Amino acid sequence: MPVISINKKYLYGLIGQRMDDEKLADYIYKLGFEVESQDEKEAIIEITANRLDLLDAVGLARTIKNFMHKSKRFHYEIEDKEPAITIDVDRSVGRIRPYISGLVALNLELTEESLLNLINFSEKFCETYGRNRRKIAMGFHDMGAIKGGLTYKASEDLEFVPLGKQEKMKFSSVLEKEEKGRQYGSIIKNEKRCFYPSLSDSEGPIALIPILNSQRTKVSASTKSMFIDITGLSEYAVNKAAELLAASFMDMGAEVRKVRIRRNDKAVLAPEMEKRYINIPISRAEREIGVDIGYNNIISLANKMGYEAGMVGNKIAFRIPEYRLDIIDAQDVIEDIAIGYGYDYINAMPIAYSQPGNLENRTRFNRKLTDIMIGLGFFECTNSYLTNEENNFDKAGLKRESHAIMLKNSNTETITMMRTWLMPSLLNNLRLSSHESMPQNVFELDMAFSVAEGKPVESYRLAAVSVSPKSNFNEMKAMVEGMLYAAGVDCDISEFNHPAFIDGRCAKLAFEGKEVGFFGELHPRTLKNFGIEEAAVAIEMQLDPIYPRKS
Amino acid sequence: MHKYEILVLEVLKRLHTASLERLCADSGLGKDEAMWALQNLSDAGMVELRHQEREKITISDEGVEYAKHGLPEEQLLKELNEKQIKVSSLGEKERIGLQWSKKLGLVDIQNGELRMTDKGKAAANRGFDSARALKEIYEGKGGTAHKSILEELSRRKLIEVERRREVSEVAITQKGKAAEMKASESIDQVDRGVIANESWKSMGFKSYDVNVKVERRVPALKHPLKRLIDRIKDAYVSMGYQEVSGPAVESSFWVFDSLFVPQDHPARDAQDTFYISNLDRAELSKIPHVRTVRKAHVKGWHAKWKEDVARQMLLRTHTTSVSSRYVYNIVNGLKTDPDKYTLPIKLFSVGRVFRNETVDYRHLADFYQHDGVIIGKDLTLSNLFDELTKIYAFLGIKIKFKPSYFPFVEPGVEYFAYHEERKEWIEVGGAGMFREEITGVKRSKISVLAWGPGIDRTLLIKDSSISNISELYNNGIGWLRSRREV
Repeated sequence: MPVISINKKYLYGLIGQRMDDEKLADYIYKLGFEVESQDEKEAIIEITANRLDLLDAVGLARTIKNFMHKSKRFHYEIEDKEPAITIDVDRSVGRIRPYISGLVALNLELTEESLLNLINFSEKFCETYGRNRRKIAMGFHDMGAIKGGLTYKASEDLEFVPLGKQEKMKFSSVLEKEEKGRQYGSIIKNEKRCFYPSLSDSEGPIALIPILNSQRTKVSASTKSMFIDITGLSEYAVNKAAELLAASFMDMGAEVRKVRIRRNDKAVLAPEMEKRYINIPISRAEREIGVDIGYNNIISLANKMGYEAGMVGNKIAFRIPEYRLDIIDAQDVIEDIAIGYGYDYINAMPIAYSQPGNLENRTRFNRKLTDIMIGLGFFECTNSYLTNEENNFDKAGLKRESHAIMLKNSNTETITMMRTWLMPSLLNNLRLSSHESMPQNVFELDMAFSVAEGKPVESYRLAAVSVSPKSNFNEMKAMVEGMLYAAGVDCDISEFNHPAFIDGRCAKLAFEGKEVGFFGELHPRTLKNFGIEEAAVAIEMQLDPIYPRKS
Repeated sequence: MHKYEILVLEVLKRLHTASLERLCADSGLGKDEAMWALQNLSDAGMVELRHQEREKITISDEGVEYAKHGLPEEQLLKELNEKQIKVSSLGEKERIGLQWSKKLGLVDIQNGELRMTDKGKAAANRGFDSARALKEIYEGKGGTAHKSILEELSRRKLIEVERRREVSEVAITQKGKAAEMKASESIDQVDRGVIANESWKSMGFKSYDVNVKVERRVPALKHPLKRLIDRIKDAYVSMGYQEVSGPAVESSFWVFDSLFVPQDHPARDAQDTFYISNLDRAELSKIPHVRTVRKAHVKGWHAKWKEDVARQMLLRTHTTSVSSRYVYNIVNGLKTDPDKYTLPIKLFSVGRVFRNETVDYRHLADFYQHDGVIIGKDLTLSNLFDELTKIYAFLGIKIKFKPSYFPFVEPGVEYFAYHEERKEWIEVGGAGMFREEITGVKRSKISVLAWGPGIDRTLLIKDSSISNISELYNNGIGWLRSRREV
């Protein structure tokens, strides 16, 4: 989830009132987010991934003001005037980064604080919703420095003075040498040749998209008018982002103007500021939340959550605020009503229900077997399902087999596969514990994994190990027979060889003619590999074949 | 005189003074037996016990980690020396470093950035005494460090200092040398003869010192996680839930797509989720639900939906995939045969989930989760609050609710459990009402309540002897034997 840092002085300025730390934390909590920490100057806040309108102080102030019933601004419209600039979209961008939207903000009165807030917002937005600029990126430009109309195209390796530099650089060297170039270059890189999506005015490039802007159009706190470009892979996303930004600039007191986007001789105006309504009967909201709300109250709750609302027929029409990218349908609006109502005020209501509950048969059998093992003096262990070939195969003297489920992309070197049996996990648990008193008895009853004909096989197994200077085959056999007897499982025991065990001191277990496990005395080689310094005996068996078929 | 006392005195008459170990070896007595006899002889003034304080320092797993890589605040200062650091960019591990650095006054925060204080600069130059001491202990050079440093390390649970008063040596007194060593006439061990002949009537019993020190027997125990899982399952069953289960190695379809997680969601990245390299892709063509899911994604997320992405096999990141499978089957079953089910239906599952974490002593890549789901008509958010409150009440835990967001529920809920000892609320899980996109059916016909909290976190609340989750998966025999049933 995105974590944002908010300048509290700026936030309270926008809200129009200061509040103490607890009050701020309480509003944030009731809205569904959390203040991670705060001091006099700033608050670190965790926002859920859906609320892209709350990634900065402007959005947060707007929402808190509504929540406090201090605001009457529920929608954001742009006056019908001649668009402030035209962007011609060349078809060459079609394959790499097809969509662009934008807006122009006039009469800006920026401060260092509000500019920083804006830039932080854009970075956070492009990192989260923009999937690190791949899906969406945006750039701020000084409108006064732009000459003529704009062209968005995938160009050859042009030159411009990138932001923060004095000298001209080629696009290719920006990608190679500049920090942002190295960070985001892969978004536009192509194996065979490199296209450079760029935005140019009559004097040349103003941005290498989505990497870096030009020094020429750099914005500062004294910038009076701004052009903002928004580019990306989804037409819906770039248009909605433009609407969200338009609302923010209006809240900052700017006049927002549309831009004309011309593609294949077809022109549209952006941001569209689409008017959206969702109609919901009060009864539906009440039925899903489980509270009585009533007409007057629901309008007030809607306003509190930033919606303008009114009665249409027997339904309430909610006007969806332009900055709310997350509202898909009525379900989302009903959640907002519940948040406005307050989760703390929703009383718990029991469900009428009278069916008996039950465990799976397997769970009952596992519990029985666990009780038996504990009765035999074995401690229960719980180990990770994840392991590596060395632990799962090599140390036990097994060949590395292809029937293990292998992980494609583990971030940890020691994790490469899912365990195929449990005994190695237990032997690792007992590693280097010879200073503890003997015997050391442990067991685990849990899952192991394998592949059969390309499909995963998940099975329950039981393994137990006993380490003691006195352990031998007969002791383990006595334990195994006692366990099987108490569990009511009939198994045949016969001679067996297993690389982890000593030949002639190992046996297999068969249930209804099918091999289900083995036990015996571990080979000194195995013990040494696992760092065990005394003699040890072990059993490993599959449980799926012996689970009762009926309860 | 008891025969153990005689054995001890015989040895001491020969040696005059002896260590406890020597005494045991020469007399053939166990430590408990020898101590019992010595205590009696000491009370009778026949031997003199000499005690010694012993200090044993053990280093914790966390301590080992820091001894190898430096204390977290030390690591943070080192990093801060090299570059600027924003608070918001800190990882979980670095936040521990920040907490300590702030506590020790080494850094402060300005405009969301970390600044080294003068004290911090000095510490960065000079190094940390506590880090040096920890390293020495780890390398077995022992606790030569100053007492206050050992105390600090101990408070941070990086080491454990144990002081024990032990009998180091025993000496015989004049009275002991003169004592007449005759086996007592009273009964020591009750045997067949004593019972049959009723000899106790004339002899009486040798009495035991009830304060004698014995070595505690250690009963084998269930693993604490499995014990809690039993309790959670019992809670569900007591409220009428049926247990169900589903695959841990699962397709993207059931883990993500069927739960309305967009195909470009960061949780699906290889950075966060384990994908499998040697399995066939899941076969989805026979599942009619795929059409519903595709439609929901295209409409809701304004993006193409690729079946190939949904067919990838991975390790599930939540057990909600099990709920998703069952909800689909039941909703589908209700369409064809409405009489087959009585609504509401309550189901739960417990299982492992996986995250592609960088594993160290604190972070694990797999842990347990449970998932509950109720499928019914006109279920409400207030019903959800009621069910969850009751399930946790069964476990003795008080919970509260707050709004939150997960792609598959609306309204979304996050809930917190009250930690009685720490007097704070701890996040335990997410919950909500499944979106219509998941069921493919209007809520006016069917509604579904669902939740999926972690189990390990709940255990930390129930058992204050467990300080971090990875401790649960080490299973060291010493740790297992030190456990108490909670």
